[in-house]
Amino acid sequence: MSARERVLARLRGAVRHERPPPGSFVPAIADSSWEAFAEMLRSVGGEPVGPVEPDALERTLADLCTDAGSGRVVAGPGVDGAWEQVSDEVAPVSLADVDVAILRGSIGVAENAAVALDGRHAPVRALPFLCERLVLLLEVRAIVPDMHAAIARMPVDATQFHHFTWISGPSKTADIEQTLVLGAHAARSLAVVGVRSHAESFR
Amino acid sequence: MSALLDSRAARLLPDGEALVRHDAAVFDLRRRRDAAVAALPDFEALRAHAEAIKAHTLDHLDTYLERFESQASAAGARVHWAEDGVAHNRIVHELLEARGVRRVVKSKSMLTEECGLNPYLEAQGVEVVDTDLGERIVQLGGELPSHIVVPAVHRSRQEIGTLFHTHMGIPSGESDPVRLTEHARRDLRPRFLAAEAGITGVNFAIAETGSIVVCTNEGNADLGMGLPPLHIACMGIEKVIPTLADLATLLRLLARSATGQPITAYTSLVTGPRRGGELHIVIVDNGRSRLLASSAHRQALACIRCGACLNTCPVYRRAGGHAYGLAVAGPIGSVLAPALQSGDAARELPFASTLCGSCSAVCPVRIDLHDQLLVWRRTRARPRGIESGLYRLAAAVLARPALFRGAGRLLRIVWPLLSRHWLGNPARAWRVGRELPEHPGASFAARYRRLREAKR
Repeated sequence: MSARERVLARLRGAVRHERPPPGSFVPAIADSSWEAFAEMLRSVGGEPVGPVEPDALERTLADLCTDAGSGRVVAGPGVDGAWEQVSDEVAPVSLADVDVAILRGSIGVAENAAVALDGRHAPVRALPFLCERLVLLLEVRAIVPDMHAAIARMPVDATQFHHFTWISGPSKTADIEQTLVLGAHAARSLAVVGVRSHAESFR
Repeated sequence: MSALLDSRAARLLPDGEALVRHDAAVFDLRRRRDAAVAALPDFEALRAHAEAIKAHTLDHLDTYLERFESQASAAGARVHWAEDGVAHNRIVHELLEARGVRRVVKSKSMLTEECGLNPYLEAQGVEVVDTDLGERIVQLGGELPSHIVVPAVHRSRQEIGTLFHTHMGIPSGESDPVRLTEHARRDLRPRFLAAEAGITGVNFAIAETGSIVVCTNEGNADLGMGLPPLHIACMGIEKVIPTLADLATLLRLLARSATGQPITAYTSLVTGPRRGGELHIVIVDNGRSRLLASSAHRQALACIRCGACLNTCPVYRRAGGHAYGLAVAGPIGSVLAPALQSGDAARELPFASTLCGSCSAVCPVRIDLHDQLLVWRRTRARPRGIESGLYRLAAAVLARPALFRGAGRLLRIVWPLLSRHWLGNPARAWRVGRELPEHPGASFAARYRRLREAKR
């Protein structure tokens, strides 16, 4: 018998009760406004920008990147502008010197300021963690109140789902005497640019 | 108080200062948790929901693990099973050896601490770098983490500065947390880029999709999963949950209970390997099926390792994690130890509790921790040495009212002696960094009588 069979046999032997799965959870909060999202984002150390109209987006991004000091700026799929585009052909290590990465988020969560980044919009998995400064675009209408609604909206098809990250604020640590420090290993800052409805869908 | 815990606590507390700092640091986490809970009107309903999810999952653990295995395999991951820590370490090493891997970056995993993976791999000539800042600090210090969430909470900033001076060559005397963190970032970034494999833990494994979920605030696990071509994820059998919808409930509880954050900075789902890479998932039993088979203790497997029970525990706060001598300290550590570890030390830990119930009150999945400690005391756990004599003495005295009253009178006479310094004082070890409470001068019965008479 393999280790797998022995472990599973022990578990089968330990089945005692037959408690049913609980139903779905109905949350008590319902605010899915940009304002609620932005306030929560500030509280987790992120910077809300906008919301801006789609035609003002490029300008807003250009301003943000100038603020960051104009190092190497790269953008993911679906981000318009004269940025260096990243595809899944790129070796992760070649992105080690990226200053600013601009990527599209697909869902925003008002209760915790998390923005969903899926494989479609972040073709290189390590990019949002390698860059010094991360800029995420978020359609205002893609904000949901809570994690239940957010997870219900997750696309479960292989290409988008292969890696999928919820990002809430910049990288942080409090491992030294509980002092909060931003920029532990990954992005030192996070800006989320709210975008009013596009003609084409974000999702 | 346990004699064993006591002697270890003495190591943590060379003076009162470390104790005060430790107590304040972990209780601050408790306060942040309370604030986050107060801000969420449905927190109690969430706890009940999470408890039900975990109870149902544990009842069908074999089914959900098989489902997870088949979904993860379908997504391209390789799943391995280990009956114990030794088998787990061997599987991980074989995976590394077959690919000639010498440099590994690892993110926080209490399971690999439990199995002793680092020393095992290092003995085989593999360089393992812990990348969570707190884990890196305890690795450089050559010790176990003292807390599930903040592994180096027992260390002062000055001690950390000295460690970094010795091991990273930073200027001596540095103690600013911002600059120390920056030094660690600069020291670890090239190690991430040069690593040939990344090892991570698993916060949740989703049976429905075959995904693993890893939560961090630093982003270190994501660099470890996203840069090297080989990713090995190590999980206990209890990490599986049925569906993505269940993940929402548990994520809403985890970070709020741990640090008061609404969610960790990074919550990553990984479903199968990335292009050109490999994903291996090692599923470990290591005594957990024994807990599952015990109706009194199976609920302990619901633990999501948030650390809330440590932060609120009056014993943990004053003793520190190293006093427990386990990878997982605090009330949950004491509940798991008699099942997961052999030896007298593990069997003694259920006595290192006041049974005040604060741990059970804050547990996000409502584990009845203090009741479980009591069950262990009645069954497998055994007090040792002088303590077992004291328990027998107490039982004899408490059963005889006249003897009880006499013993009370005697204790009120000797109490002041125990508070003083003298060689051979049996309370000496306990008094390092602490004082015995003042006794009220009369028995409860006498004071109660006086109170009643005064009222009349």
